Amino acid sequence: MDQLITELKLKVIDALNLEGMTPEDMDDNAPLFGDEGLGLDSIDVLELIVLLEKNYGIRLKTPAEGKEVFKSIAVMADYVAANRTK
Amino acid sequence: MTPDIVITGAGVVSAIGCGKTDTLAALRAGRSGIAPIRYLDTPLKEYPVGEVPLSDAEIAALTGAPVQWPRTTLLAIPALQEALAQAGLRDGQDMMLISGTTVGGMDRTEKSFPQYSRDHSCGSSTDLAALFIGGFDDATTLSTACSSAANAVIFGANLLRSGRYKRVVVGGSESLSSYHLHGFHSLMILDREPCRPFDATRAGLNLGEGAAFLVLETADSAAERGAKPLARLSGFGNACDAFHQTASSADGEGAFLAMSKALQMAGLLPSDIDYVNAHGTGTPNNDASESAALRRIFGADLPPVSSTKAFTGHTTSASGSIEAVFCLLALQHGFLPPQLHFSTPDPSCIVPCHSGLSATPRHILSNAFGFGGNDTSLIFSVYE
Amino acid sequence: MKHVTIPSGASLPELYRQWAGDYPKFFKMDTLSKLGFLLTEMLVAGEEGRFTPREDRAVLVFSREGCLANDRHYAASMADFPSPALFVYTLPNIVTGEIAIRNKYAGETSAFLMDGLNQSLLWDTVRQSFQDPVTQSAIVAWINCPSDTEWEAQAWLIERNDLM
Repeated sequence: MDQLITELKLKVIDALNLEGMTPEDMDDNAPLFGDEGLGLDSIDVLELIVLLEKNYGIRLKTPAEGKEVFKSIAVMADYVAANRTK
Repeated sequence: MTPDIVITGAGVVSAIGCGKTDTLAALRAGRSGIAPIRYLDTPLKEYPVGEVPLSDAEIAALTGAPVQWPRTTLLAIPALQEALAQAGLRDGQDMMLISGTTVGGMDRTEKSFPQYSRDHSCGSSTDLAALFIGGFDDATTLSTACSSAANAVIFGANLLRSGRYKRVVVGGSESLSSYHLHGFHSLMILDREPCRPFDATRAGLNLGEGAAFLVLETADSAAERGAKPLARLSGFGNACDAFHQTASSADGEGAFLAMSKALQMAGLLPSDIDYVNAHGTGTPNNDASESAALRRIFGADLPPVSSTKAFTGHTTSASGSIEAVFCLLALQHGFLPPQLHFSTPDPSCIVPCHSGLSATPRHILSNAFGFGGNDTSLIFSVYE
Repeated sequence: MKHVTIPSGASLPELYRQWAGDYPKFFKMDTLSKLGFLLTEMLVAGEEGRFTPREDRAVLVFSREGCLANDRHYAASMADFPSPALFVYTLPNIVTGEIAIRNKYAGETSAFLMDGLNQSLLWDTVRQSFQDPVTQSAIVAWINCPSDTEWEAQAWLIERNDLM
């Protein structure tokens, strides 16, 4: 799971152009969205949806589903581990 | 001194018809042009679209334009010819052409990408149309997403106000392309069903294509040459929502400012508006945001509102001028285009006028909102 | 009237750190938008009332290639998964939106395509824009970036008086 979490962090940093950020800077349980988190927006949700499908074969149907799955890196990792087809 | 600006010619091509006669019949009959994809070469066949029901060869044959030209240009030419013919003008002499587009020649480029992309500026599709018609002093291309054609109307009007020109041709043209169909798909704002603007069950937009152009001139110029105005362009406004690249703000600030500016220029009160042709794409976001702005402008006294995108789909860069032509038809023939596909009111949205109405509108407000928060409103009024 | 330029190939992250540094969304933008953003920072840095919302400043961007450099990236992504973040920037006017969002400009925004930098047509167009009595000043930019590493980028902050 640790490996998946680090892998996810690297992919998120890359996909969302989070300049200058490293996996060490990212708290597993910190909210990704909203002001306390990384301040990600609606386009970022869509990019993460693409990330999930491209890398793990998971297809989310709506951005609303995305917001639940992408609550934090830890929540994302659990979801990927449970649902990945790749 | 600001000259009165009138429209002396209009031409249109869209999913509901080629030319104003067919278009008027479809609007009055409530006949939508949204259907499964027939001509566009794309893997995304699950999305209904407002496609002009003609192949490239058939559109080219209407005017004799070369069939290798971009579909955006092929669609523009009959619309330009119809507008000029109605205005009693032979070609573009002494006028400038201002056209809005985003796709430009992309339908051709995506077939041979990337070999031609190096030199394929989207202005070229306008220049080809200008070349075919002939005579234009100059041509320019505006590209502000879904408000492009409406902004072309404003730019043309400013050229008249400044005295630079007495007559201009303004509008826009856009063809479907796999490129932007994929793009809207990636934004998850397309509906797999025909769109339902302002409806509680709305789930997104349908892309459309088409072209429309207006001949704008000063009232003096029209009188001088005995041209009969169809209507007046009595007001317009452009403002920026300054909120997000593709979403609209919850209180519709940009839309509110654009509509306010247009009303102020026209010297009209909200209560003078007899019909609003909404941007109304059918996305949860736009329709709620636009409704908030409409409520801020009109309060409890909302005039009839409908979105004709349920007829044509969202024709993106051409929507501002295509829907302007619908407004002109409404003014001239005394009817209001009904809201199609509406059944369930949404408390966060206005309730559109969903039965065919006969009326004698005198002032019509038309909205076109583009990505980048580029919001434009135009007001057309009867000429007397 | 102020005038600024960004030399072709300059380090945009460095210019960002020098002129802004407080807007991480910068890194999500395409090159066209980054250039427009930075040119504006250079023009209005230190301006009084800088971030107070206003309607009286227009933003007009002129280009030949528009967002073509980004369009290519998006087209490449279409091969397997079209990228929404790239698609957002496949419009030549999004740069004006980014400038407006950052600086809270609710005035006119517009994007024009020209075959090359035709100063006469450019300033004529700017004059047309000032027909709107609300507009008191404008950010005017010529930004042409055929790729992410080479461009022509210059901008002016022009007041109504400058046009008289």
